[in-house]
Amino acid sequence: MAKQTDIQISICGSAGDGTIAVGDIFKRAMARAGYRVIAFDHYPAEIRGFGKCISRTRISNNQVYSMKSYSDVLVSLNDLHAIPHVGEVRDYGAIIYDSAPMSAVAEGAHISGHLMPGHLPYALPIRELSELATGANRSRNIVALGFIAGLYQLPQQAFHQAIAAKFEAKAPAVADTALAAFDSGFKSGSSTYKFDDVQVGRPRARKNGGEVRMMTGNGAIAHGCLEAGIETFFGYPITPATGIMERLAVEMPRRGGRLVQTEDEIAAISATIGAGYAGARAATATSGPGLALMAEMLGLGVMAEVPAVVFVSQRGGPSTGMPTKTEQSDLNLAVWGGHGDAGRIVLAPTNVEGCRRCAARAFEMAEKFQVPVIVLIDLYLSNRYETVFLQGEDNFLPKNWQRVGSSAPGDNYRRYELTADGLSPRCVPGEAGGIHTATGLEHDEYGRPNDNPDVHSLMSEKRHEKLRDAMKYRGINFTKRFGDKGKIDVGLLAWGSTFGEALEAVLLAREEGIRCAAMKVVMISPLPSRPILRFCNDCQQVLVPELNYTGQFANLVSGELGRPVVRVNHATGAPMDINYLLTAIRNAAKKKLRSKTTTSNPTKA
Amino acid sequence: MPTSTHHVVLGNGIAGNHAADVIRKRDPNSRITIISAGALLFYNRYDLPNVFRGRHQWVDYLVHPPEYYESQNITLRRKTRVVELEPQAQTLSLAHRETLHYDKLLIATGGHAYIPARLLDDVGLMHSFHNFRVAMQVQSAVRKNGTVIMLGGDVMGLDLARTIIATGHRVIVALDNRTFWPHEIAQSERARYLQALESMGLDVRDHGKVDHIEAGNSKGPARQVFFEDGSEIRGDVVMPFFGLVPTVDFLATSGIDMERGILVNPQLQTARDNIWAAGDVCQIWSATSNAYRFYYGYRNVKMMGEVAAYNMTGEQSPFESTVDEALEVTSKGLLHSPFWEYDQRG
Repeated sequence: MAKQTDIQISICGSAGDGTIAVGDIFKRAMARAGYRVIAFDHYPAEIRGFGKCISRTRISNNQVYSMKSYSDVLVSLNDLHAIPHVGEVRDYGAIIYDSAPMSAVAEGAHISGHLMPGHLPYALPIRELSELATGANRSRNIVALGFIAGLYQLPQQAFHQAIAAKFEAKAPAVADTALAAFDSGFKSGSSTYKFDDVQVGRPRARKNGGEVRMMTGNGAIAHGCLEAGIETFFGYPITPATGIMERLAVEMPRRGGRLVQTEDEIAAISATIGAGYAGARAATATSGPGLALMAEMLGLGVMAEVPAVVFVSQRGGPSTGMPTKTEQSDLNLAVWGGHGDAGRIVLAPTNVEGCRRCAARAFEMAEKFQVPVIVLIDLYLSNRYETVFLQGEDNFLPKNWQRVGSSAPGDNYRRYELTADGLSPRCVPGEAGGIHTATGLEHDEYGRPNDNPDVHSLMSEKRHEKLRDAMKYRGINFTKRFGDKGKIDVGLLAWGSTFGEALEAVLLAREEGIRCAAMKVVMISPLPSRPILRFCNDCQQVLVPELNYTGQFANLVSGELGRPVVRVNHATGAPMDINYLLTAIRNAAKKKLRSKTTTSNPTKA
Repeated sequence: MPTSTHHVVLGNGIAGNHAADVIRKRDPNSRITIISAGALLFYNRYDLPNVFRGRHQWVDYLVHPPEYYESQNITLRRKTRVVELEPQAQTLSLAHRETLHYDKLLIATGGHAYIPARLLDDVGLMHSFHNFRVAMQVQSAVRKNGTVIMLGGDVMGLDLARTIIATGHRVIVALDNRTFWPHEIAQSERARYLQALESMGLDVRDHGKVDHIEAGNSKGPARQVFFEDGSEIRGDVVMPFFGLVPTVDFLATSGIDMERGILVNPQLQTARDNIWAAGDVCQIWSATSNAYRFYYGYRNVKMMGEVAAYNMTGEQSPFESTVDEALEVTSKGLLHSPFWEYDQRG
């Protein structure tokens, strides 16, 4: 019987130890070997210094949906940083550390004194091996990587290829040194008796062909933009969204696109709306603070009915907050932010593949519904790596966006014509007969400023009613239910990056005999009320887990549906903890339906 | 704020763990640290022959589950090697360059297999049996119905031999003057004891001293042992069982009195303040013998741990030996030793 692989390896070190770099090699090697990979790196906000870095990678030969609560293996490249994370390793998991540190350590400062009794220690002279193999101690990280590969009999060749790829832009000696360090660690690992019960089976052969890529959420968004034929991008750097712009800055010029780094976020959204008005596929990317600055211009996009795509990656807030920590606390701003009744489409993908698909579909939807579309992710999804299987069957390129509605330019052209579905004929500047006014002022069907009460009422209705059809747009599952069918004890309604943890918790709860299911909600605005209500009606209790303090999505759902939900909030700057959710599910399964909205804190249960 | 006494126990065997257990009972607020060179929690080494009976999970050999250490508030530092003891400063230097302070120290590092100097060049061709890892290596190296060559044949080896034979393998014992160690069999009795070994199913050979060991060819047994008398034995593994030597390398500069082992008084205290020793590592003053002597066997070792623990927590109890050292030939002509009747949970 084939071994089941589902292991999570954490590598912890200080900035400068090469922690993230070696984690990157590990995940790419594993993806190259055919495993499914999810990975998430933790790094300090400070650019320089000796802050803590952790690279966590989960590999499996089956589909998995999130990081695990507990790691199977922890590698310490810096004991002071790693010691607080010892408790994250499960019983009979492994802890690998340096038995020959460079300098004397204070009493209690070595990780060997902090292992739990259930852990299996591997004391490896990492520094010495690095010095022996390369003449320097700089390759400690690669030695440790080699040890992991040797101990767990991972395919050496896949690592060699990943290392070569990692350093291909540098002098050949750099890759040679890294390979020597890796082989030294590999040899040591291969000859070490494995006491832990970490099992690594062969990767499962994929049924369908297609290309396998390791992507972050940011990378997938950039990929989706390119697949959709993005023509212009305007952006101002901000963590954790910058990666989108960095990727597009490399790729867009090669494809005839244009990317401009603007002076601030206001300029970025202004230019994006301008380009959208001119008919280009245009986007910008930012985080919560940037979105706050963009709020006014988003209102212009709504009022003038201009397509634009805004990618928003949330981080800990408010204000500058925690730039390198994750949070889902900009939902209110994304859905409601701005002045006036400025309805817009908000999509929240739940995984990396979803980022790609939502990014590409966002352009279509912005054009179809003539409105800014916000794609809302968070740092956890922005920076999370996953294996993505590109099938090559999707076509996100522009299709018939120019002609929507009943009248054509030149025929008494009314850019804001009131139609049954609220969608008006759109033309771009320069098109013959398409002269119209686009303004932030309320306007009539021609675009001429008009504050007549009836006009404002009709136009408000038009701007909102047209979005109803957005819920029927094909190409994205705006909601999807997983787990038990029919009536259930507990249902989890989850959005964004948290859905992966929610589904993993549901799968564990089902193993315990709890009847439960999870529904992912990808379309946040307008909210697909019907399927959500159907789901809620099947549930004795509905839990809404999210990474914020107030339960912004829970407020949205209970306000829209008039139905009580249980909030499961987690506002620590870290991703949702599966065990935290599992505890909440167990608690909910024991209780009867509550009569009013309450707040759940599983740790106090 | 008053600080609790830090009891440090070197060694993760019977003596050390039993001592920690007793210390915890007698001093609930103290800090206890056990230092072990191995990777595993305290497990029953006497049970290791059962790897030949299919018990291949180290977890099955654990004396205590992981939760025990947490419930007893005992810190176990594994894969940790002590390189130096400084009694004056009451510190231990660890190989990973950490200095650990102790208030009271128990040295229970046990012993390791004695290898005669003439065989040191061939160490790489021999298998020991002192921990789970090497026990598993021996088990996997011995083919079905294969042959184990035991050099010497001390009581630990003879115990293992009983299991190996019972599981369908052959054991050849190459006799040596340390056969039956730690027991010294009178010359007049030796033939009867050797006859008992043969009755137990062992193939007893007396070829004199080993000359050297070679790896076998790929088709035959993996090892060949050549004797000075020109004879040769072939087997899957060669295992040295010449008795134990105390593990005291790290004490070279400590100033602790040593002969072959650590010299302690009947209360198991060394000549240095706040340092005790227990188990196979120590030689205890015997007024009867007017000499320092070793005491072997799990009952003795466990008792030493207990006595040391009492004395580390304020008592002045002397160690009294048990009957473990008897070795006798039964009425059925078989060899028997209380040494083999181990049950650490008892």
